[in-house]
Amino acid sequence: MTATQPTTITGSSWVGRPLKRKEDARLLRGEGQYIADITLPRMLHLHFVRSTQAHARLRSVDLSKALAVPGVVAGFTGQNLLSHGMREFLIPSVLPQLAGELRVPPSLPLAVDKVVFHGEPIAVLLAEDRYALEDANELVEIEYEPLPVVIDPEQALDPAATRVYDDWPDNVLYREKMGNDASEAFAEAEIVVEERFHVPRTGCSPMETRGAVAEWSEHSGLTLRTTTQRPHILRLAISEILDIPEHRVRVIVPKEQGGQFGTKAPLFREDIVISLVAKLAKKPVRWIETREEHFRAGIGQERGQVHYLQVAAKKDGTILGIRDRCIGDVGDGTQGIYLGFVYPYLGCAYLPSLYKVPQVEIDLICVATNKPSLTPSRAFGGLPTRFAMDRIVDLLARKLGLDPVAVRRQNLITEFPYVTPTMLFYDSGDYVGGFDKAVETIDLAELRRQQAELREQGRYIGIGTGVGIEISGVSSMMFVALENEPGFGAATVKVSPSGKVLVLHGDAPGGQSHETTVAQVLADEFGLTPDDVMLEYGDTWTTPFGSGTVGNRMSSYTISAVVLAARELKTKIATVAAHDLDIDAPPEEFHLTGGDVVWDKDSEKRIALSAVARHLIMAPINLPAGMDAGLEHTAYYEPASDIPAMFGANFHATVVEVDPNTGEFEILRYVVVEDCGKQINPLVIEGQTQGGTVMGIGNAVYEEFVYDDQGVLQTSALTDYLMPSAADVPHIESTDHSVPSPHNPLGTKGKGEGTPGPVPGALANAIDDALTPFGVTLTDLPLRPEKIWGAIQKAKPSITDR
Amino acid sequence: MNQQVSITINSRRYVHEVPLRTLLVDFIREHAGLTGTHIGCGPEGRCGACTVLLNGEAIKSCLVLAVQADGGEVLTVEGLEELSGEDGQLHAIQDAFWECHGLQCGYCTPGMLMTSFDVLASREKGEKELTDDAVRHCLVGNICRCTGYSHIVDAVRLAAERLEAMPEDQRRSCLAAHHVEEAQR
Repeated sequence: MTATQPTTITGSSWVGRPLKRKEDARLLRGEGQYIADITLPRMLHLHFVRSTQAHARLRSVDLSKALAVPGVVAGFTGQNLLSHGMREFLIPSVLPQLAGELRVPPSLPLAVDKVVFHGEPIAVLLAEDRYALEDANELVEIEYEPLPVVIDPEQALDPAATRVYDDWPDNVLYREKMGNDASEAFAEAEIVVEERFHVPRTGCSPMETRGAVAEWSEHSGLTLRTTTQRPHILRLAISEILDIPEHRVRVIVPKEQGGQFGTKAPLFREDIVISLVAKLAKKPVRWIETREEHFRAGIGQERGQVHYLQVAAKKDGTILGIRDRCIGDVGDGTQGIYLGFVYPYLGCAYLPSLYKVPQVEIDLICVATNKPSLTPSRAFGGLPTRFAMDRIVDLLARKLGLDPVAVRRQNLITEFPYVTPTMLFYDSGDYVGGFDKAVETIDLAELRRQQAELREQGRYIGIGTGVGIEISGVSSMMFVALENEPGFGAATVKVSPSGKVLVLHGDAPGGQSHETTVAQVLADEFGLTPDDVMLEYGDTWTTPFGSGTVGNRMSSYTISAVVLAARELKTKIATVAAHDLDIDAPPEEFHLTGGDVVWDKDSEKRIALSAVARHLIMAPINLPAGMDAGLEHTAYYEPASDIPAMFGANFHATVVEVDPNTGEFEILRYVVVEDCGKQINPLVIEGQTQGGTVMGIGNAVYEEFVYDDQGVLQTSALTDYLMPSAADVPHIESTDHSVPSPHNPLGTKGKGEGTPGPVPGALANAIDDALTPFGVTLTDLPLRPEKIWGAIQKAKPSITDR
Repeated sequence: MNQQVSITINSRRYVHEVPLRTLLVDFIREHAGLTGTHIGCGPEGRCGACTVLLNGEAIKSCLVLAVQADGGEVLTVEGLEELSGEDGQLHAIQDAFWECHGLQCGYCTPGMLMTSFDVLASREKGEKELTDDAVRHCLVGNICRCTGYSHIVDAVRLAAERLEAMPEDQRRSCLAAHHVEEAQR
């Protein structure tokens, strides 16, 4: 099919088809518009001067030599910006309202007195020439008074440890006891298994770093183009923080974003500083983040959790309860909306995962350290907890001499809705069916046979499984409490006089195929083709309020709003059609197909959708009594008030071969069964599943953010922070086992946000399984050959034991 | 220090005076205004989003100075369509990526397309089928975070099949920006 020919497939159903994407017409030609492609007349380039100390008082910041570099036009220190209206940005409306104790850290966007992480922004430089900024950066003179550095979160809990924040009694940023009381479970337990699990900082940095273009005009105020997942939220925050009336702040997302995965969701210092500086500069200002800057600023640094996890069970493998002490390494916590701790918080809420665990007692401690704040990544805090839980289920099974696959299966939730002790509401699903499908697809029985045979030849293969729930949008009930914002999906649908459709939503896609999936859905609703439907998004002036492209909202909440708006319009369309065709029949007796509105009882009685649209918009006379002109509608979707959330699921099964002489392993097969309610576009779902799983493999095996004891990030380039290439990962086999949600019009659930979560558990379970003769237990990520080899050596009887 | 540089990009000559330290990727994006070529790392030559063809060879344009490409010929993603030889028709590689859903956010895509072009242009007619494994190894220099690679591998193999099935003169002109001179390699 060529680029310029319209879709020629006819038929009544577009939802469910693996349709080619509308987005690709421009992306394949290199005509996508990303933030770094936007240039405005007279635009200046902005550079952030960043701290080269992890913890220090700032004695002086001297920009004079930097400002003398040809091409550099201005510079501002934190002190300068204080006198221009810069103030702390962690105001009440950008703080989460959770049940635990929160200490809010100081939050000047540019440091003034003190820096608390290596890479913290201290000053900005502006130049006409981007290259001059690099020269100028070298000439900035900063006098630091270094302070002791606190890096390890468990050491940071020591009462004698240096305080990250001078006036805090300790380094605890947030603490909460979550879940319910598990004492009964542990009193009744026939077996208790406990283990310490550690997942370092790692996450989902995308290929495109952050960036922003800000311009200020007297007549319309601030226009900020930026890589954000949440334009409406950002607009409100900036308006309040910089004290600019809301109608004079406009946030527009670039047409494309080169991947997000959560990293572009928070309220960041940089957006605030660039907005303020644009006003002072009186010219448009553009900042494009470098990769090193991205990593040093903490973007893509998520996970960072230690879990001391205990499971209480019966001898037959039935889980009675769990107890967990979670220590989250949250860094400086100076980040709007999430403060670095909401990830471990939600991760702990996800701890019981798909398992029936009646008693869950969690002690969550989020510790400040001299590192940048954690930032979001797919699975949103849940990767370490899925790792810990899936591992402990396998360890429980091994201690009981039972098959881990069987113990996993017998503890899966079977009845819905199900409410976890951590207050998560699982609305619908078929966990046993999905898990069985994964196990069947990988052919467990045959693998066990092969495993035994290969062991005799001195080769070691192993099978591992893992499971995870996946949030599908967030209701207002949860979001208002968590983040002072609504959760509804919202969409405006407009039909033009020529019978084409424009949809507007207030969120910000970055690869999730919104244009195509919305077009498929609306093509079905209006009897059109996807070529007749256009999507616009992410401009706060023109789109309805959206809470952002987060938590799988699009395919559950936003798409539902699209459908509701369309159905409202269909009633109006059918009423006018009946009137214009002079048929006395209610709107329900009409259907839309092939661009026409057709009477069910006689298909000769039809009128073009465009004729109805033209009548309503261009010639609104002789309309049915009481009917208004126009053909557009904005709808809001939330599930019913007794449904606080919807969740999808993933079921993973993998086979690995391990070489015990080197600790290296190869993934021979990787199977994922996913439940997304109902597939709108199977190709898109497969892409999300494969991409999410490979990201999980990256996090589990190759990627790790490593800080030295002076708080300097050692993995600040792609050469060190090793994102996997095509040769480093296997083909991911993706199969569907979707259970439609009863709570939204199409039955859909989002997909992709949680996919990386079960990967480390499945892989570690497989490696342990392969190395059963060696008695190895892997509890720390990433799964490096030297760790695996080391674990084998450690498990061997020592020479002195003889 | 500046120097005048003349580079032909997608059959069109661009002449500019630039500082010696100007990277080729910046010349392409800023002086030629072709923003399809992207920067995703250091720049340190790791991510591959900046891959273009220079004098027939795939290179990472973030690791080459514009002055090093003076007098040379560059093919970028924007130049692929016109090689297809038919008006309104995308290049076989672009079509294959489209059909196989070989892109999501599109940021790594130009680099993937140019590396794939290089791989396919280096093959002789009648060469044995490209395996998954071979494609994956050819793509080690191009990082993608969205797709997990399987659909990209499918796309490259589909493009290989389609190019193979073309009449030889059509295949050659599709891959015309590439001339393999064994002596130079």
